[in-house]
Amino acid sequence: MVRVTRRRLLHRGALLTGGAAASAMLARCGGSQAQEGGAPPAATSTTGAPISVTTPTAPAGSPAQATDAVRFAWWTDVGYPTPFQVSTTGPGGAVLLTLIYDTLTWKNEEAIIPWLAERWEAAPDGMAYTFWLVTGATWHDGQPLTASDAVFSFQYYRDHPYRWMATPMVASAEDGPDDGSVHITLTQPYAAFLEEIAGIVPIVPRHVWEPVADPTTYEGADRAIGSGPFTLAAYDSAAGAYRLEANEGYWRGRPRIREWQQFTVPAEARIQVVQQGNADLSLSADASVETLIADDSPLRVFATAPLSLVRLVCNTERAPLNRREVRQAIAYALDRARIAETVTRGPAIVGSAGVVPPETPWFNPSLPQYPYDPERARALLGGQQYTIELIADTGAREPDLMTPMLAAVGITLDVKRVDAPTRTHLLSEGAFQLALTSHIGVGGDPDYLRRWYAGEEANTFAQGSIFRHDEYARLGEEAAATLDPERRRQIVFRMQEILAEELPTIVLYHRRFYWVYDPRVFTPMETWGGLMNGIPFPNNKLTLIEG
Amino acid sequence: MRRDPARLLARYLLLAAAVVLLNFLIPRLLPGDPLDPGGAEGMTAATPLPAEARARIADYYGLNEPLGRQLTDYLGDLARGDLGWSIAQPAPVARLILERLPWTLALMLTALALSTLLGTALGLLAGWRAGRPLDRALVSLSGALSAIPEFLIGIGLLAVFSVGLGWFPLMGGRTVFAAYGDGPGATVHRLSDAAWHLALPATALALAGIAGFLLLARDTTAGLRGESWLTVARAKGLPVRQVVLRHALPNLALPLLTFFSLRLGAVLGGALVVERVFGIPGLGLLAFQAVRARDYPVLQAEFLLASLGVLLANLLAELAYLRLDPRRGAGHG
Repeated sequence: MVRVTRRRLLHRGALLTGGAAASAMLARCGGSQAQEGGAPPAATSTTGAPISVTTPTAPAGSPAQATDAVRFAWWTDVGYPTPFQVSTTGPGGAVLLTLIYDTLTWKNEEAIIPWLAERWEAAPDGMAYTFWLVTGATWHDGQPLTASDAVFSFQYYRDHPYRWMATPMVASAEDGPDDGSVHITLTQPYAAFLEEIAGIVPIVPRHVWEPVADPTTYEGADRAIGSGPFTLAAYDSAAGAYRLEANEGYWRGRPRIREWQQFTVPAEARIQVVQQGNADLSLSADASVETLIADDSPLRVFATAPLSLVRLVCNTERAPLNRREVRQAIAYALDRARIAETVTRGPAIVGSAGVVPPETPWFNPSLPQYPYDPERARALLGGQQYTIELIADTGAREPDLMTPMLAAVGITLDVKRVDAPTRTHLLSEGAFQLALTSHIGVGGDPDYLRRWYAGEEANTFAQGSIFRHDEYARLGEEAAATLDPERRRQIVFRMQEILAEELPTIVLYHRRFYWVYDPRVFTPMETWGGLMNGIPFPNNKLTLIEG
Repeated sequence: MRRDPARLLARYLLLAAAVVLLNFLIPRLLPGDPLDPGGAEGMTAATPLPAEARARIADYYGLNEPLGRQLTDYLGDLARGDLGWSIAQPAPVARLILERLPWTLALMLTALALSTLLGTALGLLAGWRAGRPLDRALVSLSGALSAIPEFLIGIGLLAVFSVGLGWFPLMGGRTVFAAYGDGPGATVHRLSDAAWHLALPATALALAGIAGFLLLARDTTAGLRGESWLTVARAKGLPVRQVVLRHALPNLALPLLTFFSLRLGAVLGGALVVERVFGIPGLGLLAFQAVRARDYPVLQAEFLLASLGVLLANLLAELAYLRLDPRRGAGHG
């Protein structure tokens, strides 16, 4: 078994700085530089995210030959693949849509790149964006994709939100100043707009959806028409199986594979299905999957960047976790490396006190951390004994490892095991002391650091007002509205410092996903900051099309 | 006690009404929210769903309405035969159910048929030889099997016959996107493919349910051995096979029928677990997904179908009882 060496992200700090500098320069230049190869003018960055000024290509070393089919064994049915009917319980539906639909921007291994929009400009105050669309893009039914479709999409999403990424900050969308341009006005400056909205929200065909009053129940044969590299050929909802066929006339480049298939396989059998040759790609969170692959097997394992984290959420409004020393004592008391190694059966990536994972663009490497130190934990507790209730999912193994570690410093852990919806409910109600949760979505734009504690969103992390900190809240708002990339980086780094000091959440460890794949038919690709908003999937559509 | 079919029917209708009400309430009593279900396998993204968008979606599904209003809406829809739309995977619930029902029925009925036939045959054998080594071996074996949960039997079968020997597929109800072709041959291919996929899960479910039938048949047969009419039959020189099949077996009909109808609910519960283990796209897997997503419309429909199915089976069994056992019919005390 050979473990694939990912493009190390050591240089990503440099990318961040360099990319940010480049984008800042572009911003100052007004976004009218020529792309390589005489391509249309480049994008204008207004965020801290690097913007590539080159035409995107598939990753180096990807197979040149066309492949018949790639079969992906995954975990669930995600409903019919339209933005209005796909399931958004997890990232699977959103990722599937990226193969059928396109977005204004996209991401490659290093940066945000132009996609349906060949260039864009931001208003100096960040309150508006103008996008110029590529010419020659078409819908799957052959109709031309125009700026009118993009305008319509953002207007339509206001009444019919895309559940994976709603667009409340979009005040209006209208035709731009030139033919083929779109002008989008925001309710407030939003620095993450290019990555999180323009890069995630699918552009849908006006001629299909405009007459549709209720897209949730619409069942017309044209409902899966997109502009992406694949068209929906078959969907078996009972088996959670999808068969996508190559869109040979794809405007961005011919797909390398004739078919993309994905079907539901129970977790226990997923890797074996690939080993038996009945699938070409699957995933596991267990690092020991590498040992399951025989030396003479053609299969490879691709370890993603650690875009998933397992963390403790502290209710800072309930005793004793309203005291910072208690939270810090817990961090010192836990041998997080051992917990990570035991659970993932692989090398540990101990959680950063600032939440943002290492190997990702916004990671602050200079934060104070909390090494395993029971003595220090006992000192912080001052001899006090506590009993703390921990909400954890039924199958979580971490509480069993944490209990004796905390008992050693005088904290009795009362573990209450619940299923995921119950955990989410308890967190959103603030009816908890300490909760264990694990999720992805932390590799992309760092606006999540603000959203978790802003209380404006009805998600797991926001309700319950579990961290009130005036400076942090102010910085979060400032970061969201700051377009200068260097200034934004400073703010985000300071936010991580506050998190590291206050510990409203204690990241136990950062987690990779391990993708088993057949390199003869599929080449994994690591997307900058994760696919879309930090999703550790290797099937970026760039790796599936010819450059 | 006198049994009147009309009163029986009335009692079952009352039960059905209570079941409908419970089916509406139970999903809503579960902690959690269909718009914030959490996700699976640690892949939940920290995705923002702004309050405004969330409120809009909640309004769309009527989740913000008072419970009484939701109930009347549900009953109105039910009266029109509308089971609503799934929240987690927006699609008509009736379609989701209909797509999956054949898989669960095939699995359940195959497993029930296997466990009934095998259990009864082995039970007859054991009962006829009560106290002998074969009887003791069969009773011990059935005891052991009944102690192992379905999913564990399923995992064992998977480990041996799928992973080890490679004789059966690891998962699924059919070969994904298989090209069966056209014509009558296609149907044969489709059915044989499904049978190949269902063989292990049906066996797991059947093995878990065999003990009840075996012990029931064994005890009833052992009890019959001392009956004078059976002694007469044997004294007449009838072959053992004829004595057992023609004279002993009919006496098993009533207790077996009762047990069969009682087993339906248990088999449905077992199917839920087995479908999860083998990835069979049946109602069990759908229910599992719906519980995790707190998908109220799907949960309501699943509970409704399961409970009404079991009620109907029990009703039919009681009606059959009235016909099969003259002592329970009208005019007898």
